[in-house]
Amino acid sequence: MSLYEFFIAPFSYEFMQRGLGAAMCLSVSGGLLGCILVLRRLALMGDALSHSLLPGVALAWLLFGPSTTALFVGAMLAGLLTALGSALLSRLTRVKEDAAFGSLFIVFFGAGIALVSKLPTRLNLTHFLFGNVLSVSATDLHLTAIVSGSTVLLFALFYRAIVLETFDPVFHRAIGGWGALIHFGFLALTVLNLVAGLQTMGVVLALGLFLLPAVSAYLWCDHFFRLLLLSVGFALAGSIAGILLSYHAGLSSGAAIVLCQGGIFIGSALFSPSYGALKHLSHFFHERQPVRHSD
Amino acid sequence: MAATNITHNILRFRDVTVRYGRTVALQGVSLDIPCGSSTAILGPNGAGKSTLLRAILGWYPLASGEILLGDAHPQHMLPRLAYLPQRQVIDWDFPITVRGVVEQGRYPALKFFQRLSASDHQRVARALEELGLTELADRQIRMLSGGQQQRVFLARALAQGADIFLLDEPFAGLDLFACEELTHILRAWEAQGRTVLAAVHDLELVRRTFTHGVLLDTSLVAAGDIAAVLSPENIDRAFRRGRCAHTNPLHFARTTDFPS
Repeated sequence: MSLYEFFIAPFSYEFMQRGLGAAMCLSVSGGLLGCILVLRRLALMGDALSHSLLPGVALAWLLFGPSTTALFVGAMLAGLLTALGSALLSRLTRVKEDAAFGSLFIVFFGAGIALVSKLPTRLNLTHFLFGNVLSVSATDLHLTAIVSGSTVLLFALFYRAIVLETFDPVFHRAIGGWGALIHFGFLALTVLNLVAGLQTMGVVLALGLFLLPAVSAYLWCDHFFRLLLLSVGFALAGSIAGILLSYHAGLSSGAAIVLCQGGIFIGSALFSPSYGALKHLSHFFHERQPVRHSD
Repeated sequence: MAATNITHNILRFRDVTVRYGRTVALQGVSLDIPCGSSTAILGPNGAGKSTLLRAILGWYPLASGEILLGDAHPQHMLPRLAYLPQRQVIDWDFPITVRGVVEQGRYPALKFFQRLSASDHQRVARALEELGLTELADRQIRMLSGGQQQRVFLARALAQGADIFLLDEPFAGLDLFACEELTHILRAWEAQGRTVLAAVHDLELVRRTFTHGVLLDTSLVAAGDIAAVLSPENIDRAFRRGRCAHTNPLHFARTTDFPS
């Protein structure tokens, strides 16, 4: 098989082009958001958020049928309600944010399951969970591009506020920053990107595209800006490799992408020169001195 | 102290009361902070030391009274104020270098998309130099000792270009050497005409380092020259409310049997 056949020929099909486009858009915005999620220790919040989209999807399906835009808006509203609801709850009551998220998402998920059981036609839950990059419609691609573009734009506009709010919220407040606004905005963006990922990758796998490149990059970088760049780089490389893998090996596309991202992550975790596990272990074995007992 | 009669007061508190719900944190505090002084804020735990510092930043609605910086309310003059909270909140694994943290001091002065200018970089370099961090500038912040980490945040405050420094327990958790270093830094700042307000616990350290003192116990006990504020009567009045379970805390240690 020539290089051309391996790398270029698969993308002569339109559905492959659209899939690649959607995956790359999500890689850029997911790579950025993931860094903040990881640094703010909100990695598991993404998981909670992804489940809470279900009632929105089910309700939209119940009211409008299988319309892309309706599903998109429904999922978005459900996600925003969960995110902003728990952010507000944690500020207005003594409940901490993780507990608020954990509680609200399970309520939402319950509502979603209840709605699904009421649906006249069975909503395909497999699609909700796993999506399919190779069945991305033109509308899906447009929505994804808009979401990804606005994420990058907002990141560029509020870059410094985001750095401060992530690194040292107290300092941010002391210089007159709008910490709560940045936090809510960030949650809203996460929801938006999850919803965009819902169509293409499915919620669980979209989360992989957010977290894995960011955690991988976190093992290599000591500069915030380089962390963002490397994370986006890893996300893009993993997505392209994953789509090619799924094409040539006939695997589910979302799973192939996540497996490639996972490969980068495991490699980084083991071999990163400064923060990898091997480095840590070799340090441990070389430095260890036997305890001498003198009798 | 000959200069005292020509200095003016940079911060003025008039009958300031702060409440959290039903709890009164500060009760009718009126005091003046002279410009260019170094003032220690003293008092037992829960006396309102941190509240006093944060009230200057405008974080709490005042139940009564007002705080003035010059002729304005300080929350409109944030660029003149640098606040250093107690240290625990920072994630030391954050991917950022010493220089990166100090550069944050210049962020408030920048507009959207504006990059750090040559003069910003100069200020950052000066702040690093003044606190002896130039050699460490490219290190990740985990690779520093506790005293050095403290100095990074002081350098950020310097880079802000503020002239009033609000430090919440800056000496907490520092070893003897780092304490001595910080004492030198604070004295140098005072000599350069900067105003320092710091919540501190160690009375001996305060006597050596600060020129002025404010003794709080929810309401004001004493304020003014440090030697006068730290008179035995004042200390007794501020600390006597017997928060300790034993009337004589040392007695407890002496009568307890320790396994030998």
